[in-house]
Amino acid sequence: MRVRKSYTSLTGKLILTIGMLMIAGSMLFWLFLFKHQEKELIQSSVKYGYSFVDFVRNSTRYAMLTVHGTLIQQTVEAIGGAEGVMNVRIFNSTGKVVYSADKKHVGTILDKSSPLCLTCHTASGPVKDTPSWKIHKGEQNYRVLNIVQPIYNQPDCYTASCHAHPKEQRVLGLVEADLSLELLDYSIRQQGIAITAYVVAFSVVISGTLCIILWNLVSTPLTLLSQGMRKVASGDLDHKIEINRGDEIGELADAFNTMNSELKKAKNELMDWGNTLEKKVQEKTEAIQRAQQQLIHSEKLASLGRMAAGVAHEINSPLTGIITFGHLLLKKFPKGSEEYEDVEVVIDQANRCSNIIKGLLGFARATTADKAATNINDVLNSSLNIVRNKADFFNIKLDVNLDPALAKVKADAPQLQQVFLNMIVNAADACEGKGAITITTRNVTENGNDFAEVEFRDTGYGIKDEDLEKIFEPFFTTKPVGKGTGLGLAVTHGIIQEHGGKITIKTRVGEGTSFFIRLPALKETS
Amino acid sequence: MSKGRILVIDDEDIVRLSCSRTLVPEGYELAMAKNGQEGLKILEEGSYDLVLTDLKMPNMDGIEVLAKIKERWPSTDVVIVTGYQTVETAVKAIKLGAFDYIEKPFTPDTLIATVSNVFRIRNK
Repeated sequence: MRVRKSYTSLTGKLILTIGMLMIAGSMLFWLFLFKHQEKELIQSSVKYGYSFVDFVRNSTRYAMLTVHGTLIQQTVEAIGGAEGVMNVRIFNSTGKVVYSADKKHVGTILDKSSPLCLTCHTASGPVKDTPSWKIHKGEQNYRVLNIVQPIYNQPDCYTASCHAHPKEQRVLGLVEADLSLELLDYSIRQQGIAITAYVVAFSVVISGTLCIILWNLVSTPLTLLSQGMRKVASGDLDHKIEINRGDEIGELADAFNTMNSELKKAKNELMDWGNTLEKKVQEKTEAIQRAQQQLIHSEKLASLGRMAAGVAHEINSPLTGIITFGHLLLKKFPKGSEEYEDVEVVIDQANRCSNIIKGLLGFARATTADKAATNINDVLNSSLNIVRNKADFFNIKLDVNLDPALAKVKADAPQLQQVFLNMIVNAADACEGKGAITITTRNVTENGNDFAEVEFRDTGYGIKDEDLEKIFEPFFTTKPVGKGTGLGLAVTHGIIQEHGGKITIKTRVGEGTSFFIRLPALKETS
Repeated sequence: MSKGRILVIDDEDIVRLSCSRTLVPEGYELAMAKNGQEGLKILEEGSYDLVLTDLKMPNMDGIEVLAKIKERWPSTDVVIVTGYQTVETAVKAIKLGAFDYIEKPFTPDTLIATVSNVFRIRNK
C-alpha cells in the first residue's frame, strides 16, 4: 500500500496545522510562565538588595554618628568583599564618594548628569529622595542589580555632639550597591533551556501521536478508497474495500462496496440486454425479410390474379362464340366423319382454354379470402364427395383417417375446398389411375404453437429433386400438355400462405409423395 | 307461336350472336341490346319474359340492370351471364332477385337447359 506522504496530503495538512498551533500555544504559555517567574525572581532579588543596603547603612550607623571614617571604610570594604557584592559606595550630599568597597572610587565626584544622579535629581523638577533600583548589563555576561538608598537626616544625626549636619537637611547622602545577578541569570537561562526542551518534546510526542492516529484513522482508509475507485474506474468491478469499522469511513467503504456491486449487477444486466438485443434484432430482421419475401410473392400472385381476371373477361366471350359455333357445326356433319372429329378438336381446345382461364381466376380469388371458423374434416369430406364418383378414382384405394378432435381453423371454406380438391386430383394424377391415396388429419404442436395438419400421401411416381423447388411456381407442370395448367399448386400455395399456414413435402422418386398442409389452430373461446 | 320473349344484353357481338343462334332454333323470340341503357329502352317498348344480361359492361353493369328491371318489371326473370364469377357477385345477384347465373364460356346445351328451366318454372 502506497500512502502519500507529502505535506499536501490531508494527514500532512492536519499534522502541520495542529503541530503549529501546539508549538505556538506551548510557546506562549511557557513564555508567560517564564516571564512571571523571572519577575518574581527579580523582585525577590530587589528585596534582598534593599535589605543588603539597609544592612550596610545600619552597620555603618554608629561609626557615622561617632565620625569614625576609617571604621566606616573598613566595614564597607568588608561587606563589599562578600560573594555576589560587586561594589558598595557611600555618597555625601554633594555627590562625592566618601566611602567605597573599591578604594579607587573614594574621593571621586559624580557629575550631575551621571545616571546615578539622575535617579533622584532631574534638570528642573523636585528631588526624588526615595530608594530606587535598576538592572543593567554588567561588563561580564550577567546583569547587575543597582540599588540606591538615601541616608535620611535623623534626630541622632543633628543632635549628635559633632553637629555635622544642620537639622533642615533631609538627605545626608546615599548608599549605592551593585549586586551581581549572575546566579539569577544562570538559573533563568537553565529554565529557558528546560522549557524549550519540554515544548519541543511535547510537540514531538503530540505530533507523533497525531500522526499515528490520523494515519490509521484517515490516511490509510482514504488511500484504500481512492485506490478502489481507481480500480473500479479501470473496469475492475469485483474489487472490494476491506475496511471493517463502525465509523463514518467504515460506512463510506460499505456504501462504496454496495455501489460497486450494484454497478456490476447493472453492467451485467446491460451486457445481457445488449447480447439478447442483438439476437432479437437478428430474429426480427429475419422475420421481416421473410415477411417481405412473402409480401413480394403475394404481390406477384395478386398482380397475376388481377391480370387473369382481366384476361378471363376478355377471352371468355370469344370462347363462348367458338364453343357455341363449334357445337352448331357439329350438327352439320355426320358422327365419325373427318369434319366432325376436326370440329370436336376445336371444341376441346376451346374448353382447354376455358380451364386455363379458370385456373388463372384462382389467383384472383386466393388474394381475397373470407375467413371464418372452419372444420377441416368437413371441408375434406365435401371435397371427397365431389371426386369419389369420378372415373379417375375408380381404381384408386382411398384411405381417409380424420381426427375427430381436430382443432378448428380460421379459413375461407371454398378456398380450402379448392386446395383440397387440387391436392386430391394431383395425388390421383401421380398414381396414374392405380395405387392408394391416404388422407390423414391430426393436431400438431411446433415451437409452442398449435396447428391442424392434413397429410395427402400417394403411392405415385414422386417428385424429382430438381423439380421440388419449382413446383409452386405458376405455370410449372410436369403433366402432359393439355392435362395441367401449372397453376394448381401455385394457387394452393397462395391460399395457404394467405391463411398463415405452410405446405411441406416429403417425396421419394418411385415410392410416392406426402404433402403436409398446416394451418394455425383457432384458440378455443368458450 | 314463340316459346317466350327473351332480351339479351351484352356488349360482345359474338355472345349475342351465340345466344340467338342457340335459342332462336329452339323457338324463342329474341331481342338484342349492346348495353344496359339500350336494354332498358327495349324493355319499355315491349314486355319480355326473360333477360339474359352480361355482368361486366361499360357504363351500367349487370347488377345495376338487374336492380332496375326488378324495380320496374318485377315479373321479368333475369339470368346473369358472366366470365368473372365470384361468390360475392353471385350472392348479390341472387339477393337482388336474379333467377340464375351462367358462366362464360357456356355450351349451347347449358344455355338451353338454363333458359328452359326458367320457362318451366314460369309456366307452372
